[in-house]
Formats: sequence, C-alpha cells, structure tokens
Amino acid sequence: MITDSSGIIDVLAEGLAIWPVVIPLAAAALTLLLRRWPTLQRSVMEVAVAMMLVAAAVLLARTRNGEAIVMKFGGWGKPFGVTFVADMLSAMLCTAAGTVALAVAIFARADVRARRRRAGFDALFLGMLAAVNGAFLTGDLFNLYVWFELMLATALGLVTLDRRRAQIDGALRYAAMSMMGATFMLVGIGLLYGETGTLDLVHLSTTLARGEPSVTSSVAAYLLLAGLLLKAGLFPLFFWLPASYHTAPISVAAALAGLLTKVAFYACLRVFVLVFGVGAHMPVVSGMPPLFALLAAATMLVSVFAAIAQVDVRRLLAFHVVGQVAYLVMGLALASWQGSAAAIFYTVHTMLVQTGLFLGAGAIGRAGGGFDLRVLGGLIREHPRFSVLFAALALSISGVPPLSGFWAKALVIDAAFRSGTPGAAWLVVAALATGFLTLYSMSTLWTQAFWRPRARAPHAARAIPVAMVTGVALMAACTLGLGLAIEPAVRLSRAAATQLGAGVTLPNGTTSAGASGTVP
Amino acid sequence: MIAMLLATSAVASGVSLLVGRFLCRRRVGWLLGLVPAGLFLGFLALHGTIEAGQTITERLAWAPSLGVDFSLRLDGFAYLFCLLVTGVGALVVVYADAYLVERSPEDRARFLTLILFFMTAMLGTVLADNLIVLFLFWEATSVFSFLLIGFDVDSPSARRSALMALHVTAGGGLALLAAILLIGVVLGGYSLTEVVVRAPELARSPWSVAILAGVFIGAFTKSAQFPFHFWLPNAMQAPTPASAYLHSATMVKLGIYLLARFEPVVGAVPGARDALIAVAMITMLVAAFQTIRAENYKTVLAYSTVASLGILVMLVGLNGPMASVATVGFLLAHALYKATLFFCAGTVIHATGLTKLRQMGGLWRFLPVTALASALASLSMAGLPPFFGFISKEFLFEAQIQSSWDAVPMAVAVLVNAVMVGVAGVVTLRPFFMGAHRVQDVRHKEVVGLLLGPMILALLGLVISLEPTWVNRVVLLPAVMAVYGQRVDVKVALWHGVTPMLLLSAAVVGIGALLFVFWVPLHYRLRTFTRVDRYDAEHAYDALLRRVRAVARGIAERLQQQDLRSQLGVIFFAVVAFLIWALITLGRGPRFPASVGAVRVGPALLALVGLAGGIAATWARSLLAAMIATGLAGLVAALTFLVNGAPDLALTQFAVESLVVVLLTVALLALPLDAPTTRSPRARRGDAALAAGLSVILFIALLDMAAAPQQNTVSAFFGARSYLDAFGRNVVNVILVDFRGFDTLGETTVIALSAVIAWSLLGPRVSIEDGSGGARRSVFVLEFASPVFFWLLAVLSVVVLLRGHNQIGGGFVGGLMGALAFAIVALTHGVDRARKRLRFHPLTLAGVGLLLAVASGLPGLVAHGDYLRHVWIEANVFGVHVKQGTALLFDVGVYLAVLGTVLAFLFGLTREAEA
Amino acid sequence: MTVLYAFVAAGLFGCGLYMVLSRHAVRMMLGLSLLTTAVNLVLFQAGRIRTAQPPLIPEGAERLGESADPLPQALVLTAIVIGFALTVILAALVLRAWRSQRTLRSDELRSAQDLGSPLTPGPDLDH
Repeated sequence: MITDSSGIIDVLAEGLAIWPVVIPLAAAALTLLLRRWPTLQRSVMEVAVAMMLVAAAVLLARTRNGEAIVMKFGGWGKPFGVTFVADMLSAMLCTAAGTVALAVAIFARADVRARRRRAGFDALFLGMLAAVNGAFLTGDLFNLYVWFELMLATALGLVTLDRRRAQIDGALRYAAMSMMGATFMLVGIGLLYGETGTLDLVHLSTTLARGEPSVTSSVAAYLLLAGLLLKAGLFPLFFWLPASYHTAPISVAAALAGLLTKVAFYACLRVFVLVFGVGAHMPVVSGMPPLFALLAAATMLVSVFAAIAQVDVRRLLAFHVVGQVAYLVMGLALASWQGSAAAIFYTVHTMLVQTGLFLGAGAIGRAGGGFDLRVLGGLIREHPRFSVLFAALALSISGVPPLSGFWAKALVIDAAFRSGTPGAAWLVVAALATGFLTLYSMSTLWTQAFWRPRARAPHAARAIPVAMVTGVALMAACTLGLGLAIEPAVRLSRAAATQLGAGVTLPNGTTSAGASGTVP
Repeated sequence: MIAMLLATSAVASGVSLLVGRFLCRRRVGWLLGLVPAGLFLGFLALHGTIEAGQTITERLAWAPSLGVDFSLRLDGFAYLFCLLVTGVGALVVVYADAYLVERSPEDRARFLTLILFFMTAMLGTVLADNLIVLFLFWEATSVFSFLLIGFDVDSPSARRSALMALHVTAGGGLALLAAILLIGVVLGGYSLTEVVVRAPELARSPWSVAILAGVFIGAFTKSAQFPFHFWLPNAMQAPTPASAYLHSATMVKLGIYLLARFEPVVGAVPGARDALIAVAMITMLVAAFQTIRAENYKTVLAYSTVASLGILVMLVGLNGPMASVATVGFLLAHALYKATLFFCAGTVIHATGLTKLRQMGGLWRFLPVTALASALASLSMAGLPPFFGFISKEFLFEAQIQSSWDAVPMAVAVLVNAVMVGVAGVVTLRPFFMGAHRVQDVRHKEVVGLLLGPMILALLGLVISLEPTWVNRVVLLPAVMAVYGQRVDVKVALWHGVTPMLLLSAAVVGIGALLFVFWVPLHYRLRTFTRVDRYDAEHAYDALLRRVRAVARGIAERLQQQDLRSQLGVIFFAVVAFLIWALITLGRGPRFPASVGAVRVGPALLALVGLAGGIAATWARSLLAAMIATGLAGLVAALTFLVNGAPDLALTQFAVESLVVVLLTVALLALPLDAPTTRSPRARRGDAALAAGLSVILFIALLDMAAAPQQNTVSAFFGARSYLDAFGRNVVNVILVDFRGFDTLGETTVIALSAVIAWSLLGPRVSIEDGSGGARRSVFVLEFASPVFFWLLAVLSVVVLLRGHNQIGGGFVGGLMGALAFAIVALTHGVDRARKRLRFHPLTLAGVGLLLAVASGLPGLVAHGDYLRHVWIEANVFGVHVKQGTALLFDVGVYLAVLGTVLAFLFGLTREAEA
Repeated sequence: MTVLYAFVAAGLFGCGLYMVLSRHAVRMMLGLSLLTTAVNLVLFQAGRIRTAQPPLIPEGAERLGESADPLPQALVLTAIVIGFALTVILAALVLRAWRSQRTLRSDELRSAQDLGSPLTPGPDLDH
C-alpha cells in the first residue's frame, strides 16, 4: 500500500477519470449498509456529491488543453478493454451534472424526509449519478448501454419512491418504453459488433470509415438512433417522459429533468458524430440530418403547445424539458461544428435551467400548497425573493439576454444560418416560433402563480425552507453566470465540438495494451 | 465616461430599492430623482464633444469569439435620447413619488426602482454600438415595461395588458434577433457603425429582405405601428408616470431610433421606403380614427401617440435631409408636449378619480397650474406659434415637399395633424375650461411634486422656440447630422415668411379647429361604428391566442389520453419508418450468406421449438400458460447456447429462466390468471403487421451481418492473453471480471440497486427492516426434499463461484444458484425460514457485494494506476499452490450482490403475494 | 444454420413486440422478457455460429484455439443479468399496480395521466 501523501495524490490523479463514477458507486453501496440511519445516509450522499463535483471540476481543468485523460480499466488499453476517455465534452458535462446534483442534494434536505431516505433515495440517487457520469465518460459502446440501463433502473426506483398510484402508473409506462429503447440500442450494438468486431467508440469509427457501408451498419445506426432518441425524449418517441416526470417526488423530477435526456443526447453526439461521422457525410448516415431536422422541428412545436395546455406546473415543465431537447437535436441536425458547439453549450445550459425550474416548481408547490395553476397565486407578495429567482430561470428558458438561455438559442440559430443546409431556414422559423410560445407559456405561468391573487381564500403564507430556496438560487446563479461568462463557455464548447468531430486522440496512441504491453 | 454613466445608472437603480425600503421611506422620489438628474448633468457635460460633431466610442471586451464586445457609442442622435431619457426620467421620478403617495413605501420603492432600471435599459439601448448588446437592453426595456404595466398585480386588466405588451414587443424582439444574427452572418460582425458604413453590402446580400423584415417587425412592435399598435392603448393600465415615461416619451421611440439607424439600409433596398410609408400611413389613419372614438383621457393621448409615432416612421421613410431634420425636431417636440399632457392627465385622474373625458370639466378652478401646463403643451401639440410644435410641423411639411413623394402622404399628414389639433383642444379645453358644472370638488389640491414635471416640460416647449440657438447647436444639429450622415444647417426660426409650409400649417389648424368644434357629435357618430372593433388588431390577437390554446388543448389530449399500447404502437411505427428510411438512404441491397451451411438437425429442431414457444406465448389466453411458453423460449435459448459452445451462457440462462419462473409464479399467484384478450381483432392484425415489419427488417439485417466477413482482432486478443496475462482459462469469465470488468461492475450496480427497488416497492411498508413473512404454504414433497436441495445448491453455488475463473461458472451463476437454494426453502417453508437461514438482510448482502466489487478495483489502481487491474498473489498454502487475485474478490462481490438482490425480490414478492 | 438462427431470433423478436403491444400489463411484461431472449440470440449471432467448442483454454495450452467467439458471450451474460433485473422490477411494478388499482389493463391504469391533467376539471391539491 502507498502511505505517503504524495503517492496518494498520484493515485488520485492517475485515476482522475474514474472518480466521478467510483465515488458515487462506493457511496451508494455505503448508504445501502447505512439504511437504518437516514441522517447518516444523507451525509454520505452529500459528501459524495461534493467530492464528485470537485473531481469533475479537476477533470475539466486538466482536459482544457485538449488532451483527453484516459483510464484503461484492467490495464487493457484501447480497443480491447473498456476505457474511460475524458475529453473536454465529457468533463464539461460531468461538471454540469455535478452542479445539478449539488443543487438537488441541497434542495432534498427540505424535500426528502426520512421515510423516502429509508426507501433508498440516497442509494438510488447516487447510483443514477454514477450512471450519468459513466455514460459521459465511457469510450465503449456496450459500456454506454450498461450505464443507460443503470440510469433506467435507478430512475424507476426514484420515481416510485412514495408508491403513489400515479407513480406506479408513470413508472410502468416509463419502464415499458425505455426498455424498448434499450432493446433497440442493444440490437444495434450487436449488429455493429457483428459488422466491425469491436465496441470501442474510436476503433468503431475508424473501422466503419474503412469498411464498406452495409445494411447491417445502417440498420444498426438507425436502431441506435431510435433507442437514443427515445431516451432523449424526442417526438414521437417521448411519451414516457410526460407520463412519468410529474408523478415523481419533485427532487427526483428535477434530477431526471436535468440529467437523463441530456445524457441520451450526449450519447447521440458521441455515436453519430464520432462513430458514424454525421458531420463527415458518411453514406450510412446520409439520411440522418434531415431526419434530425424534421424530428427536432416537430418536437419543438408539439411539446411547446402541449406545455401551453397544462395547468399543473410539473406537467408544464415536463413538456418544456422535451421542447428544449429538440433545440439540441437541431444543433445536431446541422451536421456542422458550429451546430455541435451550439448543441454542447445548450446542453450545459438546459441541464442547469431545467433542474432549477423543477426545483422552483417544488418550492411553488410548498408555498402554494399545490401545483395547480388554477389555484395558485399571490407568490410575489408572499415570497418576493424566491419570485425573482424563479423569474430569472423562466426568462432564461424563454431566451432573454443576458441569461444563458439567450446565448444558447442565439448560438443554435446562428449555426443554422451559417450551415448551408436547405431546411435550415425552416428550422429557424420553428425555433423562433417555439421561443415565442415558450415565452408565452412562461409569462402566463408567472402571472398566474406569482401575480394573480390566490383563487382560494388566502391561507397563512407558507414559508419556503431555506434549503429549497438555496437550491433554486444556485441554479439561477448558474444560468446568470454562464450568460455573463459566455466567452470561456463558448470557447470550451467550440473546442469540445472540434475535438469531438476530429475523434479523440489519446496521449499514447489509440492502441495501448495492458498488462503485457504490446499488441499483436 | 459614458460607460461610467451607464454603470452608475445601473448601480444606482439597484441601490434605490434598498434606499426606498429602508433608508428614506417618505419623499424618496426627491432623493432618487437626483440619480437621473445627475446623469442628465453628466451627459450635458459632454456637449462640447457632441457639438463638434464627434462621436464618443468606448469598448469593453465581452465575448470576442462571438464578435460581441460591450462597445458603446455616443453620437448626436444617441445624445438627444440620453438627454430625453435622463431629463424626463428625473421629472418622472419626482412626479411618481407624489402620484403614488397613498401606496406603501415598499410599493413606491418598487415602482421607482423599476423606473430607474428601465432608464438604465433605455440608456444602454441607445448607447450600444454592438447590436447584440443593443438587443440585450432592448429586451430589458420590454421586460421592465411588462413589470410596470402590470404594477397593479391585483387588477386582471393590468395583468392582461402587461402580458399583451410583453408578447407583442418580445415577439418582435425575436424577429429583430434573427435579423441581427443574419447581419452577423453577412457582415461578420455586429457593429452598428459597420451596418451604416457597409449598408450597400447588406442590401446586396441574399438575406437583405429578411434582415429588413426582422428590423421592421422589431421596430413596429416597439413603436406601436399597425398592426401591432394595439398594445399601447392597453398599456395605459400602467400608473400614469410610467405611461408618461415609457409609453409616450421614451420607450416607444426606440423603434424610430432603430429605423433611423438603419435608414441607409432602408434607402438601399428597393421598396423598403414604400413599405415604411405605407405602414406609417395606415397607422396614422387608424390611430386618428380611434383617437376620435376614444373616451378615456389616457386612451385619447395613447392613440394620438400612436399617430405621432406613425408620423415619425413616415419621416424616416421619406428621403432628403429635411426628413432627418423633421424626425429629430418632431421627436423632441412630441416628447416634451406628450409627456406634459400625460402628467396633467395623471394629476386630473388622481385628483378626481374620473377616467372618462366627458365626465370632466372646469378643473382650472382646482388645478390652475396643471391647467396652464396642459394649455401650453396643447398649443405646442396643435402646432401654433410660438411653440416648438409649430416649428417641428414646419419641418415636417418641408420634408414632405422636398422628398420625391406624391400628394397622398401629404394629404394623410395634413389630416392627421388636424386631428392632433383637435385632440390638443379636447384634452385641455374640455377637462379644464369647459363644462364647469361637471366636477364640483377634487380629492386634493396640487402639490409641488405633481407640478414640477409638467411645468418644466411645457415651458421648455416655449423656451426652445423662442431661444433656439443653444438647443439647435447642442442637440438638433448633431442629432440630424448623426441621422443624415452629413451636416445639414437647420434654420430654427418661427418666421420664414409666407411659405407653402406656413399655408399647410394654417390649413391644418383650420381643419383642426373645425374638428374640435364638431368633436362631440363626430365622436358619438364614430362610436356607432361598432363593427370595426371586430376587425381591429386587438381582436385578431385575442383570436390568435384562443386558437393557440385550442390547438394546445387538442395536442395535449392526443398526447395524454392514449394508453400505453397506442403510445408503444406509435413508437414502433416510428422505428419501422426510421429503418425503412435507413434502407432507402443507404441505396444498396443486403448481402446474403454464400452458403446456407450444414444444417444440424437436433439444434435446428430445438430452435424451431423455441420459436413455437414464442408463438404459443402470443396465443395463450391464460397468463400462466403464456409465462410457461415464454420460459420455454428462454430454455431453448439456453440449450442453443449450450450446443453452440457457450456453456456459461447456457448455465446462466438456465438459472435466470428458472428464477424468473419462480419469481413470476409468486407474483402471478396474486393476480387473476385468466386474462381475456384486450385487443380487437383489427387491432391485433395491425400490431401483428407492425411486429412483422420490424422482425423482417431485423431478419434481413442478421442475414447481411452473417454474410459480412468476421473481424475478430479483439476477441482474438482475448483468446491470446486470457491465460498468459489474466491467468484464467475460461475466457468468457476473464472477459467478465478482467477485460471488460467495468461492464460487470456497472451491471452489478444495476443488480444491487434493484434490490433497493424491490424492498421499497414490495411488501407492507411499516419500515424497511420489516420482515413480516406470511403464513407459509407447505408443499409436502418439496418439504422433505428441500434441505437436500438447499445444501446441494448452496455448496454448488460456491464451487461454481470459485472455479469460475478457469472453468465454466463465475459470480453470476454462483449467485443465482445460491438464490435458487433459498428460493426452495422459501417456497416450501415460507419466507421467514428462508430469512432465518440467510441471517443477513438481503440489502446488506447487496451492499457488501457492491462495496467489494468497487473496492476490488482499487489495489490495481494503487499498484499500476489502472482501476480494476487485478493484482495476483501466488502462495503455497499447505503445499497447495494457490494463485488468487483481486479478480476473486470481484467475483465474490458479484456473487453477494446477485444473491442479495434475487432474495430481496423473492422475499418481497412473497410477502406481497401473501399480504 | 445461420439463416435458421437468424429466422428464429427475428421471429422471437416479432412475437415479443406483438406481446408488448398487448393492453394487459403481464402480457406486456412477458413480451419484454421474450424480447430479451431474442436480443440475446442476436448478440450471440454477432460472434457468428461456427463451432460447438466453448472458449475454454485447455490445460497445458496457453492460448485459445478454435472456439466460439467469447466476447459476444460475455456481452450476452451481462445482458441476461440486466434483463433479468429489469424484468423483475417490472414484475414488482405490475404487482403494485394490481394491488393499488385492481386492474392490469393499460387503458384503465390512468391515475398518472389524470394527475394534474388539464382535461380533468377541478383543482387538485396533492402535496
């Protein structure tokens, strides 16, 4: 064993890429053993989340120079063993996920009581975080699938934490559809292996680029597309999301809204840009950009309309989660590096803001005694400070400068204008229309829940616990900060996008074998 | 300097809230009024530079890689706005303090803070040189206008009007944003100066029309041009100080500002001027019409403002230097007299509590000074000498005569100006000097706060025209130069001799006088045309929103009311569509295996039996039968693995299938087993077709894959290294625990955590530690056999675990077997016995297992820097050569996790079934 | 043989899909486990079906001789276990649903879609 501190530092540094996954995993196991002591569970979870965030931040700092940090599990290098490849994109998203997790953990102090913790909230939450980071970091297709399954399982557990009827119903739909998605993914992976004999993302891309386009690879590609877009919540595969999110405990809903669909989109970036080379006009995926464009436009409009019809804050926000993902896919549809860069920035932005909005919904529910906009009201008088925070988030998602939401929209639209793709103009029209309707929906929510006096006889104003406000405030601060510090953020996104498109170059060559050194 | 001023404004606005709430709760307006007043002086101090016709530019880096820097630019035109915004701002703050006297100090502080923030946004908009920064402040003005209109949050109409204003202006903002981004695409930058310099380039670009359209929509929405004008009269729900400031003097002029800035581009794009003038004329006529119909004091003023904005848009549309002169002159004149009139209206409404003009009269007795101010402003508005309004109107007509335009705009201008004259008469004479009997008393007398603003502005309207040289030199000339691009000498004088302009003015005044005389009958006559209300833009807006909500509801119904089946159906349909699209776009057919290959009869039959099982499962009416059929397919799969060189898979699949059967049986015991079909024959056919479609495509893909040359560098590597480097003879197991151990770790987590889910979902929920097993069902035959089975399986499972690395077996199979052992006990002697036998809580097992698996990776990390790289120890224990490593630790972890989880489910389901 | 196995796998896949589309929750669940089986067969075929020789390195030998492709087997093993976990979770959910609502028809399990639905009149206050 190494004892002197420097050695430990080395070990920590060596394994930098794994800590965002291994820390929550270990913590999850620990909370399983501590299940008799909810408060202990909570502390373990909180510490783990904090450490995870730090690890991710360090990772980001280390990868900024454009060099990917690689962890060869078992010492078998690419393409034989499973590897983690932490490049800028992964590091960025891990950091964002860590921030989201932190906000949720703080909020949960007031929202998740002992009963829910005994039911396993902490273990499942940590498991989900591990899965999210794993998906962000892994350089192996099948490994990606494993993390998705872990995400699904933990999400199901989290949604049904209270065993309410609605939760069970929602979880059933969630489970059924997501398992179908996983099935499609897995078949795609199988076919891909049958064609190329490898699972390593980089090796896959090189092998596919070398090989002839074939039915197998194209069917595989589109099955993966179906699976990933389903999990990303894109129309018409998105039914599971609005069917379940509004039933979950609000902390859970916030975490899901901020993390899951974005992970799926990230996977789309990796698989279709890196492996199949959507940007590089590979024949296998030649049909994808138009498909992406079509689905993105449809999703934007459908979801925002559906959101406008809602009277329950959680449902309303759930549909906006769907709508925002469509903007990411729009970036992907442009098949240009500007498009990817915009999508990457948008992903970070929407992770933070969606979580913030759902946490805000939780606070609204606590203060207003419900989520029904037909009943809510008067919050601006009772909770002026919280109102300002929520307003910031609402304005951000509506794309009002200088909040991050504005830059996100502007970048995507700008990329659309710059990409010569024929349908781009229509995409922009859809995006602008959706932006307007989003503003409409959010401003209506605002006047109903905050301005309008209560419909019911005003009960004594209920206080919003500090923890809740803090969680919302953290996210609001993030969206403002991201908007003001746009320069570094955009630089990072662009660098990440170019790195993604170029394929990851490893410090010591893509094929470095493990225990015995060289490869035959 | 200007950046400093802007920053000061922002900071002061932020501080003002605290000041108003805590520091000085009464008369706060006088204190806060110092902020805009100070800024006003600050800008005034710059007059030297502006006079010299120079522009001050300052640049702070913000986002260079996006071409967005915080660059400010103060030229004559912006200067005019800055003086207006800060000067009027100061008066508004003072006025508002007196106006909101009954409100709570908090409300007052809130209002004044919003006003100051709005002022900051205005300054930012007119100072910004970078279009993105301009847009930032532009949107900010919309938001603050929203908050100010809806200031009385309890009033539904205020909320409605606020929303309306926000939707219209912010919607226009989106169009503007698109235009700005396109400019960035064309020019490669967002500098407003660049736009002016490289206007021809913009005009030539394919995007020119789109760009101008965006700019126009942005400007029209902000400056209330037809068909977006309707939000402005509704915005009168705002407290009057806000109306005076935002909705007459400053914000609504931003559209004009933008258009004037883009004037070079407008000029360069054919048809653009026509568009502007056409829209302007429609706006003017509609507004004039509505002004005469309006009843409320503020509404009359609002519509006359719309008309004036129309005039300004028209002036931007006209060409020639005088157009710029007139724009600047009219902009200033209008700001002065209209703000005054709003102030007076506010005072009247505040003092009388009345809103309709016809209810008012003879107020000069109670509000003499206000009456005077109103009179001065009206005279200026009517364009009578010696007021500044007269001069600006002269400019207006001169511009029209100069410009290469036919008589139509001229006629419209004359008419509309005549209406202005009428309005001027109506809004002063009727409330203050006529119908003295209508109002007998007022709530309060005039106070200084309410008088300062109107008097100063009204007098300015007189002073400027009597002593024009200074204003002309400092404000007008530089502004005109900034708009027109070169120096224009403006002769600001009351008397140019008898000119066509003078005659036109005379005509206007004459018609206006007539209008005033016949105002009341005309008013009532026009009010009878109720039909027009059905066609006006506001109704269109409401109809649009209704439509949107209807569509939304329809979509929501279609999305939410479907049951799981139809949703899955949609998904499958989409997937089929994707795959067909894939094959179409691929544009090449599948490959087929060269030869079918030798058919082995046994395995072939076996496989077909499996398929038959699957088909049977779809037909089975009883769930039990369906389950058994499904299980059959699973077992066949296991055998297929066995006969094709995958004993590990076979073993695992066997164990899994039997466990699934056990667990599902337990679950099904609680359910009704007979499940009649839930689908109509038609639906079944549809589903069958969908399923068939997908499986056919899969079949084709599988054939194509089989025909492809196999690439197995990776697995070859495993075969070569498995024993030498990973010290395992069972390659599959080595892959699981070593080569791809990390997959296994993830999967172990899935397993371990589903134990949690089992425990939280299943069984009565007294507490998570509760272990109430139900009454045990005894199955005699098994009862005797069970101990035997138990120990047999238990021992076997451990053996399988230990030898896993070299022969068939491993953690999973071991764990599953162990679970089976306990399953038998549970089934025969009930859960309690099984749990006693287990001693540990299943979740504990799962947790320990996961912890072991995770920890087993660390030694490798410490020793070699690779997580999950297994460390091996060789030793001779009692002469037996043992070689074991962390791989075993890992496998044990998996074993425990699997065991714990399966048991968690078993116990949970049993308790649930027996509960 | 390959063709046959491809046919069987695809066929089972189809059966699974067909069952998943049933309105009865248990049938849907069984359909999903059938799909898992089918997918495992697909994965297995990804390594081609050439020999019945298991990928075990015989005593004395150091390298794997001619045998079935071990990697897909490992993948299938993982997939089997994950599929197992999810199937059982699904079973637990189904049981829960039956307990709380006494129905397993997906068109009657409506409490999620009715929770805070704009289409059901009247304010609901669950919190």
